Amino acid sequence: MSLLLDAFAALLLLIGAFFYLAGTVGLIRFPDALSRLHALTKADNIGLLSICAGSALMAGELRVALLLLLIWLMALFAATVSAHLIARRSLRDAEDSGADAGKSPS
Amino acid sequence: MVIDVFLALGLVVLAWQALIGGSLFRGIVMFIVFGMVLTLAWAWLGSPDLAMAEAAIGAGVTGALIMIAYWRLRRINAVEPRDPSPARSRLALVIAVLATGLVGAIGLAAVSALTGDATAARVMNETLPDTGLGNPITGVLIVFRNLDTLLEVAVVLAAYIAARAALGRESADLPLPPAPDTPLLTPLVVTLAPLTMVVAIYLLKAGSQYPGGAFQASALLAALGVLLVLTGRVGPAAAANWLTRAGLVIGTLVFCLVGLGMLVIGAPLLAIPGIWAVYLIEAAMMISIGLTLVLLFAGAPGLSGKRS
Repeated sequence: MSLLLDAFAALLLLIGAFFYLAGTVGLIRFPDALSRLHALTKADNIGLLSICAGSALMAGELRVALLLLLIWLMALFAATVSAHLIARRSLRDAEDSGADAGKSPS
Repeated sequence: MVIDVFLALGLVVLAWQALIGGSLFRGIVMFIVFGMVLTLAWAWLGSPDLAMAEAAIGAGVTGALIMIAYWRLRRINAVEPRDPSPARSRLALVIAVLATGLVGAIGLAAVSALTGDATAARVMNETLPDTGLGNPITGVLIVFRNLDTLLEVAVVLAAYIAARAALGRESADLPLPPAPDTPLLTPLVVTLAPLTMVVAIYLLKAGSQYPGGAFQASALLAALGVLLVLTGRVGPAAAANWLTRAGLVIGTLVFCLVGLGMLVIGAPLLAIPGIWAVYLIEAAMMISIGLTLVLLFAGAPGLSGKRS
């Protein structure tokens, strides 16, 4: 049972690491601000959730698990608002420069 | 070991990038990333106190201060600020060699102090329980070496006064970025503001037994203040009211009063009479340092309730 739990925790950590890696590659490789945000928010949401869930399983304590859940919720909230602000700004910059919406200088 | 090397090399590369960077903006971003990697390094070395202070003050608040300074420079000059690249003179080389030697000597002394007879550390560990404190960092800062900490708080105040004197009266007109008009800001502020205050006060209280303390708590309050200024909930005022002035000096004042009060009752100067005095001094320090940082960010002598 303990082995199974550890394996599941490790799997969750690996999934989280994969989403962070994918998000970082997207941040570097994608052409404009909106698609970069698209890549990055996936890392923020699912990547952090997986890592928090994996860490909670490894800790094996309800208190730690709840704290990790709180961390995830706060990070999610902050990331949502900042992604929203960056997206609005990039749209406005694109309108100002007369380019297509979404294809903005970053 | 791999992580040690990775962090050390990363810090050197990031510091280099922050100094050399092609544009000023890039240098600022590299500086903030440097602070974050330094946070990781402190956490990795088992110093959560320093990691928290670096994350909150080094990367967070200092990053915000440099960023707003950059924004204002662009706004005022309406041009890209010129990047003052480090002068490649022979003097720079001499300074670099001297600095390297100094850091090396301090490192060597620290390493040899670990193996030798660390008298001060041993005495502190023996007497720490008498103070009621469980966190040796807070013990050093507030009880054992509190003259240093008092001077640090006084330096913050002196630096703020110097900055005010340099900025002058017209600095209340320093531009701030317009508050973004989005319905998400109100839920953000009403959620984060009380939460940040609770966490700051918790850090202050927990700092007596666990990692935390006045500096970390004040940086959190300053971050909240920066958020309130940027979202337009709090704006610059042309003059400081009595509350602002009191908040600026309360840290130095309470520290001095407690320290001098000890003389009255016949105890040594700056002796700490009990754990309540630690909390009192730290709370006052938290208010002063936090307020100083927010006022520097707002670039104004005072703060008003609502930005026009």
